[in-house]
Amino acid sequence: MSTRATPEEIAAFADGELPAEREAAMRDAMAADPELAKQVERHRALAARLSQHYAPVLDERVPDRLTDLLTARSDETVVDFAAARQKQEAQKREASSRRPHWGWIAGPALAASLAIAVILGDSDTGPGAGYAGPQLAAVLDDQLVAEQSPAAETRVLLSFEDQGGQFCRAYSGVSGGGIACRDEEGWRIERRSEGSEAASTDFRMAGADDGAILAQAQEMAAGPALDAAGEQAARERGWR
Amino acid sequence: MDETSAPVRLIPWKAETLNTAFETDLLALLPRLRRFAIGLSGNPSDGDDLCQMTIERALANRSRWEEGTRLDSWMYRIMRNIWIDEGRRTTRSLQTFVDEEAGVAIGGDGSQEAVVELGNVDRAMQSLPTDQREAVLLVMVEGYAYKEAAEIVGCPVGTLNSRLVRGRDALMQMLGDEA
Repeated sequence: MSTRATPEEIAAFADGELPAEREAAMRDAMAADPELAKQVERHRALAARLSQHYAPVLDERVPDRLTDLLTARSDETVVDFAAARQKQEAQKREASSRRPHWGWIAGPALAASLAIAVILGDSDTGPGAGYAGPQLAAVLDDQLVAEQSPAAETRVLLSFEDQGGQFCRAYSGVSGGGIACRDEEGWRIERRSEGSEAASTDFRMAGADDGAILAQAQEMAAGPALDAAGEQAARERGWR
Repeated sequence: MDETSAPVRLIPWKAETLNTAFETDLLALLPRLRRFAIGLSGNPSDGDDLCQMTIERALANRSRWEEGTRLDSWMYRIMRNIWIDEGRRTTRSLQTFVDEEAGVAIGGDGSQEAVVELGNVDRAMQSLPTDQREAVLLVMVEGYAYKEAAEIVGCPVGTLNSRLVRGRDALMQMLGDEA
């Protein structure tokens, strides 16, 4: 390169965007100037770091509210767009009026849950389906949302008081999730969701199953979910 | 690198079928669109709002997309235009109806996934002016050639090149050599 390489040229070289003849000249210049070679290296390292940083988004599950925009109407062929939008907003309003105070606590999951709740409904074998076994009961007794390890096999999603004043906790684990409420006998399983198989495969759709459970929790709850202090206090009282 | 524009060049077909192909192609693009949106806005909840607005606008304007041209570039252009427009109105957040839900990202009660933690890269990216940020994202993350990125942004290639260099220099300064 007869003149000093400009910053633009150095970046373009690192990106493979220089025309062939200038690329060759740049190679020569780099061979003669280690500092130049180092600069190119830094550009490439930055590119690698950035693409690595954003790459995980590609593997994330796309939120239903986005895919719904593109799948819901596929059988209806061409639909008036404004009407579709109106319908969607009406559904949102309805959904949000059903969760006056604590949409915030389970927001993203709930958005995903509207469709899935139906599936959960099928798998729900009805109330009084039994009580939590010792292992689950121990988790429900002791584990606080704020303190649990992200790697915990069974995670408590949130805790709340149901309309009858009992403490209930929504949980999710490899072997399925559900909602259990504490009564005099123990943790009564109120809801149980399947999806454990799905949850343990590569296709685990993070939050999809949890979303269904949270939607159910919302139906049952008398008010907002317990915050960290509320949970702690409830635990101290043995959830009664 | 363009795996999405091909399927639309079909034998004459019913309109519905083409519409479905359009939607199918958009679905396939969603992960990449989200990546760009999250990069532009700096966090997943604003990014998904931006994605949603982009899809809605694309569906409403689908007749303006020319078959045979690249759908991905068209979508990126819509998205960055919305982002620029929104940015003029409100710099921080898109302020759409999902705000209440988005609140989970920073509210919550300590459950791990509820916490948005901006890493160094996110912070550094957010400190760039929008024109530099989009140039960096399009070329260095989305992998567009300078010319393609310039077309998406709607500026000359030279302009894109110099925005890119300014953005890179700033990032390298902020991130140091930890890369």
